[in-house]
Amino acid sequence: MTSHIIVFQSAADMPSLPMSVGTTLYNKTGSWRYVRPVYRDKTPPCNHACPAGEDIVDYLQMVVDGNYEQARQRILEENPLIGVCGRVCPHPCESDCNRTQLGGAIAIHALERFVAGQPGARRLPQAEKTAPAGAQVAVVGSGPAGLSCAYQLARRGYKVTIFEALPAAGGMLRVGIPSYRLPREVLDAEIAAIQALGVEIRTGMRLGQNPVRAGSPPGRDGLRLEDLAGYRAVFLAVGQHLSRRLGIPGEEAQGVLPGLEFLRRVNLGEPVQIGSRVAVVGGGNTAMDAARCAVRQGARQVTILYRRSRHEMPAIDEEIEETEGEGVKVQYLTAPVEVVTTVGKVTALKCMRMKLGEPDEGGRRKPEPIHGSEYSLPVDMVIPALGQEADLSFLDSQIDSARGLIVIDAAGATSRQSVFAGGDAATGRSAPSAVPPRRAAGPNGGGRPERGAGTVAYAIGSGKRAALAIDRLLNGQSLEGFPALGEHVHVAARDVDPRVVPFEDINLAYFSSEPRTPQGQRTAAERVKDFQEVNLGFSEREARREAERCLSCGTCNQCDTCWLYCPDVCIRRRDHAAPPGPGHTAYEFDYDYCKGCGVCAQECPREAIDMEEELKWRR
Amino acid sequence: MEKVIMGNHAVSYGVQLARAQVIAAYPITPQTQIVEMLSELCADGRLKATFIKVESEHSAMAATVGASIAGVRAFTATSSHGLALMHEVLHWASGGRLPIVMANVNRALGPGWNVWGDQTDSLAQRDTGWLQFYCETNQEVLDMVIQGFKIAETVLLPVMIVLDAFVLSHTEEPVNIPEQDEVDRFLPPYQPQFKLEPGEPHSFYGLVAPEHYMELRFKMEQAMEESIAVTQRVAAEFAQAFGRSYDVVEKYRMDDADLVLVTAGSITGTSRVVVDELREAGQKVGLLKVCMFRPFPVAAVREALSKAQKVAVIDRNISYGVGGIFAAELKTALYGAPHQPVVFPFIIGLGGRDVTPESIHSIVAYTGGHDAPAEPIIWMEVRR
Repeated sequence: MTSHIIVFQSAADMPSLPMSVGTTLYNKTGSWRYVRPVYRDKTPPCNHACPAGEDIVDYLQMVVDGNYEQARQRILEENPLIGVCGRVCPHPCESDCNRTQLGGAIAIHALERFVAGQPGARRLPQAEKTAPAGAQVAVVGSGPAGLSCAYQLARRGYKVTIFEALPAAGGMLRVGIPSYRLPREVLDAEIAAIQALGVEIRTGMRLGQNPVRAGSPPGRDGLRLEDLAGYRAVFLAVGQHLSRRLGIPGEEAQGVLPGLEFLRRVNLGEPVQIGSRVAVVGGGNTAMDAARCAVRQGARQVTILYRRSRHEMPAIDEEIEETEGEGVKVQYLTAPVEVVTTVGKVTALKCMRMKLGEPDEGGRRKPEPIHGSEYSLPVDMVIPALGQEADLSFLDSQIDSARGLIVIDAAGATSRQSVFAGGDAATGRSAPSAVPPRRAAGPNGGGRPERGAGTVAYAIGSGKRAALAIDRLLNGQSLEGFPALGEHVHVAARDVDPRVVPFEDINLAYFSSEPRTPQGQRTAAERVKDFQEVNLGFSEREARREAERCLSCGTCNQCDTCWLYCPDVCIRRRDHAAPPGPGHTAYEFDYDYCKGCGVCAQECPREAIDMEEELKWRR
Repeated sequence: MEKVIMGNHAVSYGVQLARAQVIAAYPITPQTQIVEMLSELCADGRLKATFIKVESEHSAMAATVGASIAGVRAFTATSSHGLALMHEVLHWASGGRLPIVMANVNRALGPGWNVWGDQTDSLAQRDTGWLQFYCETNQEVLDMVIQGFKIAETVLLPVMIVLDAFVLSHTEEPVNIPEQDEVDRFLPPYQPQFKLEPGEPHSFYGLVAPEHYMELRFKMEQAMEESIAVTQRVAAEFAQAFGRSYDVVEKYRMDDADLVLVTAGSITGTSRVVVDELREAGQKVGLLKVCMFRPFPVAAVREALSKAQKVAVIDRNISYGVGGIFAAELKTALYGAPHQPVVFPFIIGLGGRDVTPESIHSIVAYTGGHDAPAEPIIWMEVRR
């Protein structure tokens, strides 16, 4: 060992202050480190919850920065129906939002609507043309699943034809959702944009037997699967358009109109004979929509009957509130037992009071009748809205179904070669044979409902999934590697750690409670007079304010906190002029000098920095 | 350009003209207007400097130290308790050989909470290795700030410019404000001899073992001693450039004076009036203004007092257990000198009590009426 101690011979030899004579460049103090910080974006709860696979945290930052068109393009990568989703999506993203405890969840749906409504020509983003020459794909159903699939295929160069049973495109968006929630011009514009990519929509083309319906020729044969043999692939997205029956005496009487049928007629502008006193049976969104349409059609008194309590009600909270605000009475814990008729016409609904018993397999407490509690509700119209089913009568033996739904695997493929399926007709439950979903299978195997199933966002995600799978298939690639059903499929995926950021990992020193920005709404007295839109959307100021509340969970938004706090000045901003937004490219660590103190990771308001064992990096 | 400005703003103008690059400060009465104006100059771009707001005077000095070692001209201002809180970091500035300039507005220390003038705050920092200059007028304040940077950057020691609370800080006087290009010629940009340099890093202020610590202190003391000549040289350059002369001490009507008043700060101005009156009346009274307190200009003081019979030192400060600090310093300076006048140590005006011409007359009367001081500390105008 040689000594490095310098002894000066005189004061004159010494520097005037205590400083090293030589440089300290040789001394890379980063060698003291045993843990190192790394920038690693994680999954925010909103992104994790979105069945359509939108990168919400990403586009909210673009709204913060005022880059609205960029935000719109970002969503459109994943979802072509943003004006639709900004209005009618049940927004599971908000249910999981970490802001909930700090003034309320971010109003993501209202922000999506704001982004969707930006002025300027609607321009769908480009994609690499991967379609083999002349490849044609058939899509059955023009609901959100079919439109999403057609969009993703068309932008890759496929020739897509959509076959739609109804006289107009849009599926449940067109016939299930009233225009006061989803204005027709919004839906029309978004469908038109997809058509502008070259997608052909043929209406009035039903797959399978045409039903016997008033005003249409009885029993006319529709399309058969064989008719689609000329297409390289088929995507089945037929939805669920059959109403479940009440299963009680008197159901065939004049004045009983199933919820979906009622909504279809109202939404297509067909004549409906509305009662003066209407009972709607059910607690889902269809029941709410039917009740509110009945009010708008002139019913004097509308009552919703639900056999459980408000707590179990599946409809979106806002919609329940809006429905009640419009004068609709809701009777909880009651169930109809008989439709009372006079000369074949409804005159009353006999009901029975219920109480809640033990939880069923879905976790909801099961209603049990209270004997002797029968009562009669005088009505002249009954609208059962107990849920819906898919009409799968067109299926042949080569396509497996289970529990009334088409069985699909992780790629959205059915058991028949080149036939895929999605949307409400396929995605309600994961099949036992399919890749198990993230959430553990329940006691009845893989038959548990999947996260988001039955929603418009899920349909959009499933259509995208199938489109990406079809693109691979027709390019001769394997269909392995798709995430499980219920997981996200991204078109423009960021490199993000799949860990979801819990509220506990948010650094509360940086955030105070700020109230959620409410969306403007027409008064109940005004809105019941017509079918104009109820919600008024955000102004730009409201949108910016609301987007700024986003905690950007797990996602670096270049707040500079790490850069400011690093006590060793070991964090560099790569480029001050870099466009802001998620991504860790904004900063870099100087590992020559970072001592691994962890202040950056500790201070990061949003859990975007990890500390990792140095051994892992040094090998 | 002549303007009527308060002493605090004279500091601000001086700092602006010196083109300070970093200003870190925490507000405290009666200093606040200094940095208030500087913050405005920084905010509107008239002064291209970074203004750092901090949470305490300790941090203000720490930030100033940081800026200075990074190689820029740095300034701060404080007063009283703020200066006391800076105490630790004052050593880092001087031991680090950093040419920082600070304005301290003399204010009494509490308790007995008091915002008025009293020199004890700055004098209590006499052993920190800072040069100290006491100003008589707002013009001198401005001129000393500009000279202070030049002196500091020459000897590599920090400089404290001291002005009295309210009597100077808040009192408006006509001040000649030099043109920027004149000041630029007098005070070129700071060229640090050493600085924090990412491309050429050195270790600063690490452990120094007994083998070398003493030599560092020896070199600091050498720089202190050198600073007297440097101050006089800079003053000469300043006089040439701006026509106003300064020195480490100023002799006023000292020729043939038997009785000499020794003052520092704004009491000097009051004393000048009294000296003039007494001279008119035929008394041989003179005035020695001590401009530089650290280092103490021993040779200049000895030379100035080489013929005086009696010296009345007027201290607006106290070192408990000793008395007036200027008096003590002066006695130390005269020890062993060939001529030994009788030193009368007066304490007056603590906590901002007015020191009037009548007060000075009383001091002269006492000194003239006694062969020697009747007690170790002569308390003036105190209600016993």
